[in-house]
Parts: sequence; structure tokens; C-alpha cells
Amino acid sequence: MFKLLSGEAGSEDPGLMDRVYRFRHDFFVEHLKWEACRRPDGRETDAFDTPECYHVVGLDGEEVVSYSRLLPTTQPHLQTHLYPEILKGAPAPSGPRIYEWTRCAVAPGKRESSRGADAVSGPSFTAVAEAAEFLGLEGLLVQTHPILVSRLMTFGWDVEALALPCPYDGSTILPICARLLPETIETHRQIFGLTRSVLDIETVDRSRRIEAPRRRSA
Amino acid sequence: MPDIRQTSFDIIHRLRATKSRADVYAELRAAGEVFGYDAFLIGGLPQTEAEGLLDCAMITGWPDAWSRRYHRQGYLHQDPVIRQIRQTAEPFLWTEAARVHADARGILVMDEARGVGLKDGFCVPFHDLDGREAGVSFGGERLSLSEDERAGLHLVAIYAMSKARAVSAFRGKGGGDPISGLTEREIECLKWSAAGKSAWDTSQILTISARTVEAHLASAARKLNAVNRVQSIAEALRRGIIA
Repeated sequence: MFKLLSGEAGSEDPGLMDRVYRFRHDFFVEHLKWEACRRPDGRETDAFDTPECYHVVGLDGEEVVSYSRLLPTTQPHLQTHLYPEILKGAPAPSGPRIYEWTRCAVAPGKRESSRGADAVSGPSFTAVAEAAEFLGLEGLLVQTHPILVSRLMTFGWDVEALALPCPYDGSTILPICARLLPETIETHRQIFGLTRSVLDIETVDRSRRIEAPRRRSA
Repeated sequence: MPDIRQTSFDIIHRLRATKSRADVYAELRAAGEVFGYDAFLIGGLPQTEAEGLLDCAMITGWPDAWSRRYHRQGYLHQDPVIRQIRQTAEPFLWTEAARVHADARGILVMDEARGVGLKDGFCVPFHDLDGREAGVSFGGERLSLSEDERAGLHLVAIYAMSKARAVSAFRGKGGGDPISGLTEREIECLKWSAAGKSAWDTSQILTISARTVEAHLASAARKLNAVNRVQSIAEALRRGIIA
């Protein structure tokens, strides 16, 4: 089950957010070795965890098993404020209907085998697409490894590369804008064999949703 | 000299507008002038020992004679480039792969490739969520990429692969080629025929009768307005129906 909650709503569920920040610390600091993000209390948070951001949280019972964070591009976000250099001077889209997708993670223990799609990764990608559509977004900025670019295209996003891939911290990184197409969510569901929405939107504060003339899929 | 970044984005822009294998093929052929490669191949990696190059290739701009020899000799299972794709998500030069897999069978494939003018190359690996692997490989007589050219060609490969998959999926859904009206079986028979297999060989591979293979090829010839098997294959290659 996937929950979409705003930073604001998160402050009303400190228990869940505590588990989210611990999951982020386990994944990004302990697993991926992002030492700059290490915190003595084992909770990975930063200046971008504002009331205006959104958390897409994958839960297996009480346990957090996947996570993504969506940041409004009308406020400081990673592309503009953390590593603008990867754009190499190119402009990046921004505005109320463009968010930035950051901190994407699936619990390593849930990715049982390196071959074959696991039970969490596919639905966690689908949950982000459903969240973007529910929020009335046009697209998401992502700074990612090029391997994800072809995956997102396969999953039915329209992906625009904003700059050429460049070496970053021992790997390769590329800034993209992934736009929702009318068939994006259906494509995810077909690929991952899902029959209905994976996102439990009952938990979202509906008043915050951006009203947009986007076709809702069933 | 034009800015290689802008040139790369121009190529990508045109690739995104392509609608067929033939269009993707033409764009990659033209991009060879920019990046300095002579040949290219877009393909999946075999998931079983029995699969060969022709089963997995999506779009091929390899020299024909090399494709046939490569297939006949089963080089797909020995090629250092293919073995390297399975190990990394980062693009690499063929010479780098040859250093990692420097055993006799690897050296043999690289030597023969050099003999047909594929002296060095650049390969972009793809790893799907379900574990399937694929690659786009560019080769040539004199391939020497600057850092920006390497980044540009990397991105071109990503979009070329995405397009190749999209047009393949479209063809797959209709069970054949929607424009010529060829069925999946007819295309399969043409593919094996192009690989030098007789109707009897093909019947063994597809476990159907030789007479059925003949019938598929005759039907394919009618749909392609071809008078014989050679012209059918030439026409199917030209239209990008087989690679």
C-alpha cells in the first residue's frame, strides 16, 4: 500500500514520518553511503522537507519499504539550489505544475533477486505516477542515472533530457523532465500487472490539490 | 565546428519524431557522420543459449557479411562487448571490454571484427527492471570520441533504444508488420532465409513443415511485390521489416 502525504500532513503523523526519515537514513546513508547526509539520530532530513513537499511512502504493514519525495519547483529545490552545474547552463522547466522527484528508494531487502522485477519496485514507480496525476502535475524533474531514463520511457513517460550525461560522484548523472502522458499510468499497470490504483489517496489533504484539466484514468 | 551538445540534441529531437525502424535506421546512419562511426547495432541480449544475433537484433547497421558470420559462429556468446554489457550499467569502449575478457574466444571475435573494419567501438548497456539486458553498439574504422561526443552519443543511444523498442512493440501487437501486411510467421521465415537457411533448415528451427515455410515465403513475396526469395529479402531489409 502506498500513501501520499504532504509535509504538512506528515507533521500530524510524527510516528510515520519518524519511520520515513529512518528508512531514508538506512537507504541513502547506510546502503548508498551518502556520508554527507549522516545524522547522529539516524533520521535523514534536510532543508527541503518543508510543509509544501509531498512524500510517497510504500508500506508493508507498518514497515516503510519504498519512498519518493516530490518538491515544488516554485521553491528552492535540488536542481536549482544543490547542483545547478549538471544543467550546464541549460534552462529547466519550473512552475506550480512541475515538481522535482527526489530520494527515490526501494528497501534493498525487498529486491530479492537481481533478475526479475520484484514486488515493490514496479508499484513504487506506479505510485509516483499516480501521485503526479492526482496532484494535477504536468511533469517531474529528475536528476538520475541514464539507465532510469530508458526505464521511464518504457513506463510511458515522455522524457526530455535537459543536458548531456556527466560524471558525478563516481557515476553518471543526467537532468531530465518526465512528463505525464494520457497513457502513462495505464502503461505502468500493464507492465507491472496491476489491475487498479496502488495509491491510497484517502490520506491526502484534497484542498491542496492543484485543479487541472487533466484526464483522469479509471 | 558546430557545438556537439546542440548537434546531439538535434539528432535526439529527430529520433523522437521517428515512426518506423527504417526512420530510426536512417537517423543513426546520418549520425555516424557526426560521431565518426561506420556501423551500429541495437539489440537485446539472448536469454537462452539457443538464441543468436538475428533473434535479438532490433535494428542493425552492421556489415551484412559480418552479421551472417557472427550468427553462424555463435559469436554472441563469446563477444567481449556482449559479456561486458552483462556486467556494467556504464557505457564503455570495445577495447576496454576486450581487456576485461581477454581470453582466446574473446580475442578471436575482436580480431575478426577488426578484419571487417570494426576496429573500435562504443557500447551503451541497458538493464531492465525485469533483468533483461540490451545494448546499442557503434563501431568503425577510426572511432575517437571526445568527452562531450561520448556523452552526446550516450544520450543518442538511449533515445534510439527507446524508439527501437516502441516500434518493435507496435509491430508485436499487430502480430506482424502493419504496413506490408506480413504476418509474424512470414517475417520469421524471411529472417531465417536472410540468414542463409533453406526452407528445410527453417522448418527444423520453427518446428513446422518445409511445405509451410515455402507457403509463408511465397505469401511474403506476394505482399512485398517480389518475384523471388532474394528480392523478398532485399525488399524486407530495405523497408526495415527484418534487420
